[in-house]
Amino acid sequence: MTKLPMLMAACLLLLATRPAQAESALTVGAVYVGSVNDYGYNQAMHEGLEAMKAATPGLTLLEAENVPETAEVDRVMQGMIQQGAKLIFATSFGYQQFAFDLSKRNPDVVFEHAGGWMQGPNFGNFFGATQAAWYPMGVAAGKMTKSNTLGFVVGVPIGFAIGNVNAFELGARSVNPKAQVRVVVTGSWSDKTKETAAANALIDQGADVLTMHVDSPATIIRAAENHGVLSIGFQSVAARALAPKGWITGLGFNWGPFMTATAKSVMAHEFKPAMVREGLGEGMLAVAPFGAKVPKDVQALVNAAVEKVSKGYNPFTGPITDNKGVVRLKEGESLGGDKMGGLDWYVAGVIGEAK
Amino acid sequence: MSVNFASAVLSNAILSGTSLLYATLGELVVERAGIVNLGLEGIMLIGASVGFAATFVTGSPYVGILAASLAGLAANLLFGYLVIGRGANQLAAGLSMLFFGLGASALIGGRYVGAVIEGLPPVLLPGVRGFDALVWLGAPTALIIWWLLFRTRRGLALRAAGEDPAVAFAAGYRPDLLQYQAVAFGGLLGGVGGAHLSVAYTMSWDEGMTAGRGFIAIALVIFARWNPLWVVVGALVFSGAEALQLQLQARGARFSPFLMSMIPYLLTLAALLFWGRNRRSAAPAALGRNFHGVE
Repeated sequence: MTKLPMLMAACLLLLATRPAQAESALTVGAVYVGSVNDYGYNQAMHEGLEAMKAATPGLTLLEAENVPETAEVDRVMQGMIQQGAKLIFATSFGYQQFAFDLSKRNPDVVFEHAGGWMQGPNFGNFFGATQAAWYPMGVAAGKMTKSNTLGFVVGVPIGFAIGNVNAFELGARSVNPKAQVRVVVTGSWSDKTKETAAANALIDQGADVLTMHVDSPATIIRAAENHGVLSIGFQSVAARALAPKGWITGLGFNWGPFMTATAKSVMAHEFKPAMVREGLGEGMLAVAPFGAKVPKDVQALVNAAVEKVSKGYNPFTGPITDNKGVVRLKEGESLGGDKMGGLDWYVAGVIGEAK
Repeated sequence: MSVNFASAVLSNAILSGTSLLYATLGELVVERAGIVNLGLEGIMLIGASVGFAATFVTGSPYVGILAASLAGLAANLLFGYLVIGRGANQLAAGLSMLFFGLGASALIGGRYVGAVIEGLPPVLLPGVRGFDALVWLGAPTALIIWWLLFRTRRGLALRAAGEDPAVAFAAGYRPDLLQYQAVAFGGLLGGVGGAHLSVAYTMSWDEGMTAGRGFIAIALVIFARWNPLWVVVGALVFSGAEALQLQLQARGARFSPFLMSMIPYLLTLAALLFWGRNRRSAAPAALGRNFHGVE
């Protein structure tokens, strides 16, 4: 007779779990290449998904951190589909092919990939248009530097990163013609030891403002803070907490509105694949609050530059000469955001080699 | 106020090379006793994660370093039990330790990604910036290990265990106990090496943050021809190559970062080429072979 109560309990459990599953309006899967507490790329993605969850009642969010860009991600996403996921955010560039292949085998699941180019009936693509948004960061750095030397740590010198550096220097030059950007490439999106060494090297060369394009800005911001050097963050505006003394401002992704809209379109069966590239104007990028050391007049200048870029100003408007003296854009010419991936030259004022 | 180029390269090389120095010295002692531990990378990661977590929890970087050294010691004793106690294949056991270390450190450190700690403070001497206690103790540690290995009876016995365990046994020593001591000491230093990265140098923890330095350390042992004093030179050369290329970049010179990351292995290949057949500098004769006792 002891089996009967257990059987009843099992039935009750089944009854209890079933409706709960049916109640979930939508199950969303998210895969991250790093930790969601990195003050950087992955944290920004995670916060976007949290915002989506908060704005969509009944939504279930499945998350997996530290998933390498190998067949492992295919297994993780398949597991999420088995758990009922109908929308999957593949948030790292190297997930693209795996997610795309999986999308063909699962036509009822929508995939959104960050940063790539592939398209399919149930496969969309999104990223921030970061380059122009770096212009106001340059304005801030150009006004705050005393040595006229700005340090930029780049993980991997892809065109988009080179574009970020260029817009940063163009912004700095617009308020301080003497401002120069020194670039150090570590060769990896995530190597804290090399990032520390790169920050040290830039400080040794006289940089008094450091910024970066790596997955997690934390190590470089902390190195700057420890050396009494100013810093500008990138990826997540949360990085501000790391530099109570030297923080100027920073650029962070604001994925929440896009992710919420995507979830709603999937729930309404109205999903349309698109290549989404939005910037400051559309609110996909946000500027972090200013640090305590930034004077009011500098804040006003930066805010004006943010306003200008939000309204469509393109910093890549001629005449622009590269750092070898070659005219790259003539008067009146300009370079659109879609051309950034192929950039392989630095503007005048950047100390570094792009090729 | 840019710093003199040579001194900038040197001070950055010393700072970033310290973790490599400790880990390599640890591996060297283990190999001198006849055991090769390919899992050093995993041991370093355990040290880095435990050291960071302990520093965060207690607020003391010194407690963190101590905890890291004990964790490295414990992990290496596990490895030692496998290869000395159970006679397991050293290469297989070492690779298992590597993956065990990767997983265990991710588990231990997972909660502390992004955590902020006060790192190991610099010990200020006139004219030198930012060197912490572990940096200052690095070269003396190498000297002490050299003295222990080559100028004491116990060091001789330990080397005998690495050259020919049967001889050490005949001389009245227990090769297995000597090897356990070497493995424990090596784990301690490997843990310290890992912790220097997380607690002192970068002051942050990230999964897999050693990024292959455990393997560079194994290569360095060969480069240093199993001599602790050469390890100091080797660690400086290797970290110097990295510091140099970053400093050159900051000055605007172009160097492929990918080529630079090959330098440690190229130098090791060169060392193997030049010193490969020299008996005086060859590896301990019984390296990698398990001792199963004498009849």
